[in-house]
Amino acid sequence: MTPTQPSTTPAPAGPSRGADIWREVTHHGLFWPVVALVALLLACGIASPGFLDVTVRDGHLFGQLVDLLRNSATPLLLALGMCLVIATGGIDLSVGAVMAIGLAVSLTYLDTAPDPSNVGTVVTAVLLGLGVGALGGAFNGAMVAGLGIQPFIATMILMVAGRGIAMLITQGQITTVTSPPFKTIGSGFVLGIPTPVVIAVAAFVVVAVAVRRTALGMFLEAIGINREASRLAGVRSRRTTWTVYVIAGVLAALAGLVYGAPTMAADANNIGLMKELDAIMVVVLGGTKLDGGRFYLGGLLVGAMLLSTLERAVIIFQFPSQTTPLFKALVLIAVCVAASPTLRAMLRGRRRADRSDAPAAPVETVSEVTA
Amino acid sequence: MSTELSADPDVRGDEDARSVVRRARRALRGLDRRFLPVLGTVLTLLVMLGIGQQRYSTERVDFVSMKLLSNLLVDNSYLLVLAIGMTFVILTGGIDLSVGAVVALVGLAIAELFTLGLPLPVVLALGVLIGTSCGLLIGVMVQVFDIQPFIASLAVMFLARGLANVISVNSLKIDDEGFSALAAWSLKFGEGRQLWRINASMLVALAVLLIAFLILHYTRFGRSVYGLGAGDGGAAVNLMGLRPARTRVWVYVISGTCAGIAGVLFALYTKSGFNLTGIGMELDAIAAVVIGGTLLSGGVGFVLGTGAGVLVYGLIQVLIAREGLESWWTRVFIGVVLLGFVILQRVLVVRRR
Repeated sequence: MTPTQPSTTPAPAGPSRGADIWREVTHHGLFWPVVALVALLLACGIASPGFLDVTVRDGHLFGQLVDLLRNSATPLLLALGMCLVIATGGIDLSVGAVMAIGLAVSLTYLDTAPDPSNVGTVVTAVLLGLGVGALGGAFNGAMVAGLGIQPFIATMILMVAGRGIAMLITQGQITTVTSPPFKTIGSGFVLGIPTPVVIAVAAFVVVAVAVRRTALGMFLEAIGINREASRLAGVRSRRTTWTVYVIAGVLAALAGLVYGAPTMAADANNIGLMKELDAIMVVVLGGTKLDGGRFYLGGLLVGAMLLSTLERAVIIFQFPSQTTPLFKALVLIAVCVAASPTLRAMLRGRRRADRSDAPAAPVETVSEVTA
Repeated sequence: MSTELSADPDVRGDEDARSVVRRARRALRGLDRRFLPVLGTVLTLLVMLGIGQQRYSTERVDFVSMKLLSNLLVDNSYLLVLAIGMTFVILTGGIDLSVGAVVALVGLAIAELFTLGLPLPVVLALGVLIGTSCGLLIGVMVQVFDIQPFIASLAVMFLARGLANVISVNSLKIDDEGFSALAAWSLKFGEGRQLWRINASMLVALAVLLIAFLILHYTRFGRSVYGLGAGDGGAAVNLMGLRPARTRVWVYVISGTCAGIAGVLFALYTKSGFNLTGIGMELDAIAAVVIGGTLLSGGVGFVLGTGAGVLVYGLIQVLIAREGLESWWTRVFIGVVLLGFVILQRVLVVRRR
């Protein structure tokens, strides 16, 4: 149905294999994001000669590219959950706030624990943080799947209130603790690879296997296309939708821990601020449309890398770092417009297809799912 | 107040075509259906005013007074204008996330333009026009390139925030004489502790509210806005001989223009421009619209309800401040109120079926 790893397709674009393949490649949802990523990486490599070098020091990988991967971990974790939610036709605006709550709970527990450096205590703290994330996700899921409230507004409630709740947990202070095992989550290495990267890739593999090697992914897409039809076809749409929000909550809390671990400071006001928008941007850059019903997990890797490369490129090209949003906007607009069917039609000099064409595609896919 | 006013146009608009009996029945049924969320808003407002009156009135000063209303409007005039623009967009089933960033951009642009020595009216007009062009950009992306409103407005949000940071990352003070005079101008009523004011931003906000009300309920364009919210991609509006494409672009232009006006009002309020203003302001506006009884799915809602929603929003902050609670409680309470309204709307929708 949908390719599991679409990120691999655009690379071997040999012109010798004919115009058909070229057409297919350029029409792939990931073509423009990959082009943008490669162009950015090359540009950075030219502007700063050591950029593409990766060295091994003390058995750990070092270099700008490794840093990029490390920085991609948080958006990738957030985008993983977000992508599944978007596949069901929903959206989760609360992930940034859930990051803050998860980190606040973990660090507050560590702060009050007698021995914050104890590995057992750290494991409990992490589990507590993830549990709170699951709780937040369960609330979102109950609102969306149980009460049938629109995902945008249902998750916006937690987005607005969540940061206040995180402030209540930390009593309005920036809770700081010292705990080497906890710090490892954010700045350590496993077999020479930065821990955040290992965590993010592990989460990615688990989710990818769960949705693409079982029927879960197809259920999600079926729900995203037509909830009622999927229910009639025997998909437990409510329970599945709820579960997806819980997963997104857990992944958001995990992202919060990974993001906050290096500094070990729970700044409830600023941790994860606007991260939900970054996550949605990663999902969109990865070729997934917000309409639901289709999702590309492989695209998330490209999207997350593109986001962190962009943030780094702004510094390499010596723009003030505050101008990053401007470049994010330009990339987002460029990729969306380039991928828009309207532009292709315009370039081919044809009139834009009527809007009423749109519902035709989902109908076919529904019959495919029910069959 | 707002329910009576908003009941008016629907009755009057259909006057000539339908018989009296049908109209009466429709009006009754219409009241049940569409006005209930707004009634809920007004009820909440009254309950909150009641609680305030009970707890914070002293022998000499009533809590509920013209002074309270005037302060609410002065403090929230920019939010009211933002929420009005947002109402148009949400009625068509869209969303505009860019408004908070546009407010910051306009504030900084105004401050920068004054340093160039441009006259006051030109600066204010340019400020509003910046908002308009941001809205136009979203509208074109949504309509022509078929990008979802969420993503299109997200891109413009990043764009406006980035441009604001390009202008300055420091707070720019506005010390133009005419601007300061405009900010300080007010009509004073009453005396002593009961003194209340009408200032320029209040008048602008109320004028925008009135214009929006007239446009939404008395024009062909207003009908098209409601029609687009039916969720059929504008097919019904098209069949009625109205113009869905143009309308869809226009609602974003209106929302952007409102954001521009709000940016000017916010600059009048703070007398400065700062690149970090307005983070999360779009959510405040959306929350006010939802509390005001407009459904996010589009097609249902009233701009006067939005006015009531903004008052509820402002009143929450006043009550929290009076209660002496820490400011983060505001967010929790707004979340709770939002939750209540969303569930109320849901219950009403279910009962309707």
